Amino acid sequence: MSARAPAAGAAPAGPVLEVTGLDVDIRLRRSVVHAVQGVSLQVAAGETVGIVGESGCGKSTLGLALAGLLPENAVTRGSIRLGGRELAGLAERELRGVRGAEVGIVFQDPMTSLNPTQRIGDQVGETLRLQRGASKAAAREAAAEMLDLVGLPRPREQLDRFPHELSGGMRQRAVIAAALICQPRLLVADEPTTALDVTTQAQILELFDRLRQTLGMATLLITHDMGVVAGHTDRVFVMYAGREAETGGTAEVFDAPQHRYTAALLESILRMETQRKSALYTIPGRPPDLTAAPAGCPFAPRCTAATSECRGEFPPAAADGAHSWHCYHPVPAADSSPEVTEAR
Amino acid sequence: MIRFLARRCAQAVIVLLLVSVIVFGLSRLLPGGPARAILGTHATPSNIAAFNRENGLTGPLPAQYWHWLSGVLTGNFGFSYVLNQPVSGLLAQRLPKTAFLAGISVVLAVLIAIPVGLYQAVRRGRADDYAVTTVTFVLYSTPAFWVALLLIDVLAVRLHVFPAEAPQGSFSALFSDPGALVLPVATITLVTIAAFSRYVRSSVLDELAQDYVRMARSKGARRRVILTRHVLRNALSPVVTLLGLSLPFILSGTLITEQVFNYPGAGLLAFNAALQQDYPVLLGVVLVVGIATVVGSLLADIGYALLDPRVHYASDSGAGR
Amino acid sequence: MSIENVSAVLSADERGGRPEGEAAGGRLWLQAFAGNRLAVAGLAVVIALTLFSFVGPLLYHTDQIHTRLSMETLRPGPGHPLGTDNVGYDQLGRLMVGGQTTLEVAFGAAAVAVILGVLWGSAAGYLGGLVDGLMMRIVDALLAIPAILLLLFLATVFRPSVLMLIIVVGLTAWLVPARLVRGEALSLRSREYVLAAKTMGVRTPTIIFRHIVTNSIGTILVNATFQVADAILVVAALSFLGLGIAPPATNWGAMLSDGLNYTFSGYWWLTYPPGIAIVLTVVAFNLVGDGLRDAFGLDARRG
Repeated sequence: MSARAPAAGAAPAGPVLEVTGLDVDIRLRRSVVHAVQGVSLQVAAGETVGIVGESGCGKSTLGLALAGLLPENAVTRGSIRLGGRELAGLAERELRGVRGAEVGIVFQDPMTSLNPTQRIGDQVGETLRLQRGASKAAAREAAAEMLDLVGLPRPREQLDRFPHELSGGMRQRAVIAAALICQPRLLVADEPTTALDVTTQAQILELFDRLRQTLGMATLLITHDMGVVAGHTDRVFVMYAGREAETGGTAEVFDAPQHRYTAALLESILRMETQRKSALYTIPGRPPDLTAAPAGCPFAPRCTAATSECRGEFPPAAADGAHSWHCYHPVPAADSSPEVTEAR
Repeated sequence: MIRFLARRCAQAVIVLLLVSVIVFGLSRLLPGGPARAILGTHATPSNIAAFNRENGLTGPLPAQYWHWLSGVLTGNFGFSYVLNQPVSGLLAQRLPKTAFLAGISVVLAVLIAIPVGLYQAVRRGRADDYAVTTVTFVLYSTPAFWVALLLIDVLAVRLHVFPAEAPQGSFSALFSDPGALVLPVATITLVTIAAFSRYVRSSVLDELAQDYVRMARSKGARRRVILTRHVLRNALSPVVTLLGLSLPFILSGTLITEQVFNYPGAGLLAFNAALQQDYPVLLGVVLVVGIATVVGSLLADIGYALLDPRVHYASDSGAGR
Repeated sequence: MSIENVSAVLSADERGGRPEGEAAGGRLWLQAFAGNRLAVAGLAVVIALTLFSFVGPLLYHTDQIHTRLSMETLRPGPGHPLGTDNVGYDQLGRLMVGGQTTLEVAFGAAAVAVILGVLWGSAAGYLGGLVDGLMMRIVDALLAIPAILLLLFLATVFRPSVLMLIIVVGLTAWLVPARLVRGEALSLRSREYVLAAKTMGVRTPTIIFRHIVTNSIGTILVNATFQVADAILVVAALSFLGLGIAPPATNWGAMLSDGLNYTFSGYWWLTYPPGIAIVLTVVAFNLVGDGLRDAFGLDARRG
């Protein structure tokens, strides 16, 4: 099985991933955390969608839900269709067949994602052996090809090495190789570059771009870093307190953010032009407690433009083409709002 | 790895020397000196002087130590005036029996504790985890001698299933009545299982929380595969080292068990020697057990180095140990 | 020395870089501990038994000095809720008095062990190099000798009394905290605030106390609770072997082992009360220790 040939036969018509009205509740001993509420999104083949938000906004839970890796105390409602096939409500046995083969996932810390006592080659090829019943030799061969594809120098030598012998960037490449070896339709990358230094970050992101072109998978890039989203995603999905805040083409959203939260996020990015004397902008307040979901817009307590309407009911979607947002008082087009000082 | 092993061996040698110094020091701690302790309170000064001369107890301490150490290295562990035998002979008789008792118990304990600990970790938070944890907790907190006597009370006295006393005599005589070995072995095994399974449980739980387990799940691996191929291997290597370090603890328990069951091992020997102030014997046992522990710990470390690739393939020396 | 302590010793040196006993933000650990029901239950049991032992005799007067052989081994009944023992002492009163000694020795020995261990270990870890090597080899050597043998030796040489027991048990138990604290010190000594203090010329003992020890307080506390639990079992074992304190003083271990002489006569009130008291207390301290460990976020394998 060659790892270089792009997925045979073009992607089926329609999005690879279609999520509709997804709710994820995590049942704790004495409370329930509403980690994801009413999320809907689509990702097409060869497309990269960035899921962005603060820590604790539910983006990681969303990623885990899509990969079928939620813990046992999680309850999902809604629909997750991958290549037309419904994943929500599948039994564990069937989900196992999906993982690795249809969905690849890359986690944040490559050092801990790899088993320290197992060789790289074995770990990269493991999914092939598990899902496709490949022999050890075939898996090894495919692993070598994959390691080459992700840009590891001297891939055959790396096969027999242990994780601690590789640098952080190389390890993450190995993890990516392991996730993609079965050529899944969907790749979920949860903060893949957060644990790496800036130079390596750029290299890994470039790798994602390259792989997307070569292998044609749909990619979900989960991150809290707007800079990562800006350069490497086609579309962006902004999350707050488990809900969708805004979504649309990356350039559009960055040019003219509608949701107050998106605008605030963009505002907090440090720019070259920022005056040295001015204080760094931070969004006041803290994200809400997801066990006691308040009515209305979850961002209202921290929003300077909030009114009583915002605290009443969750704002319905407003749209402008493919760009949609859930805000009663979106950022006005003119640059008069104090929240957005520099339109891009 | 070679550097690591070389360093461990060098350390072990130093520790062995220190053990010998400690034992030697203890022997000189006795009020009135070993001569008085051995010859008794009626000894006259000339008896004591003669005794001291004979046994190399005159002269500066370092010389005495050297005299004593060279004796030990040639197999002379002193002489027991109470039992009228050379200590080495006594040790040779009794140590194998203790080794046998402790050995079997430890092997059994490990064989049982690993699956039990694994089971507890996997079923964490559920009713059966709580049940097993409670049992092991209570067992772990019960004095070993009470466990032993409870076993005797129930199985030996009331139900007459096993005898209450261990077989006496030579090593081969131990096997003449294997039933008599059951209760002593059971005592040590139970107490050791309680502690080990707790440790295995924590170790497995820690491994299960690691990211690479999530990674393996994301590849679609089945629970059992993850447990055996990934988790168990990593969780068990600390257990190997733990075994090496627990030898003193296990031997303490063995001593008490020997006392309860009148098992003719080195522990009982040491105990009786303490009661009768037969210090050469007591210190002889201390010395040998100390040596055995250091060697055992070293072997466990070697095993660990061979198993764990992080140590095996380390090109530099690891974190200072 | 228990396996609990041994497992803590396991990686105390291997940690390299991540000191785990750092005071987790002031009162945070207290909150975490309070939320742990088992740990709080353990603490409650400890307090209850302490009160029982020390305050009990003030409310329930019995004579624990003079024997009354005419009253020996009475069954529990009016006047003697737990019966009497083989020389006529009231068993319930004896349980209280025994508890006092048991807890005194256990706390005392744990204190001795922890203080010695912290001093030795923090110095070794902070100073490093050959000094550290030598100090730790000494610890290794002492660890290699089973505590019970050392105790046998020491107990036959020195007359048993409460103070002697505390010292003797403490002397065999300080090794584990020493290794633990040494591991912490090794990790902490390269931290910026320690280096800064060094550069500013702060004297070594001050650095050790103000920075190293205070930031290892979590590990130290956890180990201290396990030390108390161990000490109780060790004293019980010693009493069983006949190396305890002479009557009329007593402790739970001695009561248990004395009572076991009569197991076959069916005098259950001589064995089960002290036995259960021991098990309860040890379990309670272990629960508290586990709870503290979780509250401080310490790795379960590393104590």
